[in-house]
Amino acid sequence: MKGWKHVIAITSLVVSTSVLALATAIGGLGYILPTPGVRDLAYWYLVTVLSPSNKLFTAMSPEAVTSIVWDYRGLDTLFETSVFFLAIIGSIALMRGIKIVPERLRNYSSGMSPIVKTVTRITAGMIIAVAASIALHGHLTPGGGFQGGATAAVAPLLLMVVFSIYFIIKSGITEERMLALRTAGLVGIVFTAFSACIIAASLGTQAYVFQNQPKSTAAVGLPASIMGSLTSGTLIFFNLFEFFAVAAGFTIVFLLLSIPENIVKQALRGVESEH
Amino acid sequence: MLSMETLTYGILALLGVISLLGTYLAIIEKDLVKAVIFSALQSTAYAFIFYILMAPDIVLVYVPVAVGLYPAIVLFLIKKTGRLDGDEP
Repeated sequence: MKGWKHVIAITSLVVSTSVLALATAIGGLGYILPTPGVRDLAYWYLVTVLSPSNKLFTAMSPEAVTSIVWDYRGLDTLFETSVFFLAIIGSIALMRGIKIVPERLRNYSSGMSPIVKTVTRITAGMIIAVAASIALHGHLTPGGGFQGGATAAVAPLLLMVVFSIYFIIKSGITEERMLALRTAGLVGIVFTAFSACIIAASLGTQAYVFQNQPKSTAAVGLPASIMGSLTSGTLIFFNLFEFFAVAAGFTIVFLLLSIPENIVKQALRGVESEH
Repeated sequence: MLSMETLTYGILALLGVISLLGTYLAIIEKDLVKAVIFSALQSTAYAFIFYILMAPDIVLVYVPVAVGLYPAIVLFLIKKTGRLDGDEP
């Protein structure tokens, strides 16, 4: 009897969703869906994103999404990155004063079987390689800094589960180092955002914040290619720094989440008894 | 004969139904670890949907976040609280 209830619930869900989808597709909600062709705004981005002749609007990158994210609407992405940074800072502030691994357990080793460990050693390297490829080719192929960083963060997570947290801390992936890497990434992003201004100031002219390619009123910009290979000005630097910032940020969250509950409670009790 | 367009929409509809099933099972499941796995099933279906809708950038961020990092964070939280829904930690 109980099984039937779920079958009826799932069937009614599927049927109602299908009916709604059909009603939307044939214009039952009062308007017809747009045609599947390329629309005007998308067409404008697709033709200007890599066009050396249209110097005023081009981002000199064949990847429209990365160009929009870090050039056309770069300031929005900067604030998205700041929101993520503040979230990490908040979690660090919550866990302040708590040692991730107590001194007496520094040399403790555990984890899964040698077979799993060997496979993980190989796959962790492959994950990092794929992540670096996604981030560094972000201005040429689909992907970018956030995508690459999120992929890279899976590797320390895997090591944490398979080799235990003690191995991670012993091999040098500590909270302080990850925070330093994350801050370095953010400083790099800010520096890249002002790079055109800095170049312009050194040449005695003016440029915009978040400027990538030269504009008509601000003639300086970052080089679109270095030694014959396309780097799309600021895009490759933004992707590189965002990669480090996101990968280190996620790793900090996992390091903090892996602290055993009794250590956190002990530390909290210690703080309470001091007052 | 099935045209390529009909086939694409058919696969999209099938993936949508799989994601709906995954969501339903994740909600009614009392064992939270199994619920996370059903949620990951829903995310996998969504990743394929994004790929068919020609959004490879979204796929590349969705796969590590929704199939790797998000279930891992939720599993960490389940380990710290209780495995069964409604249990006292």
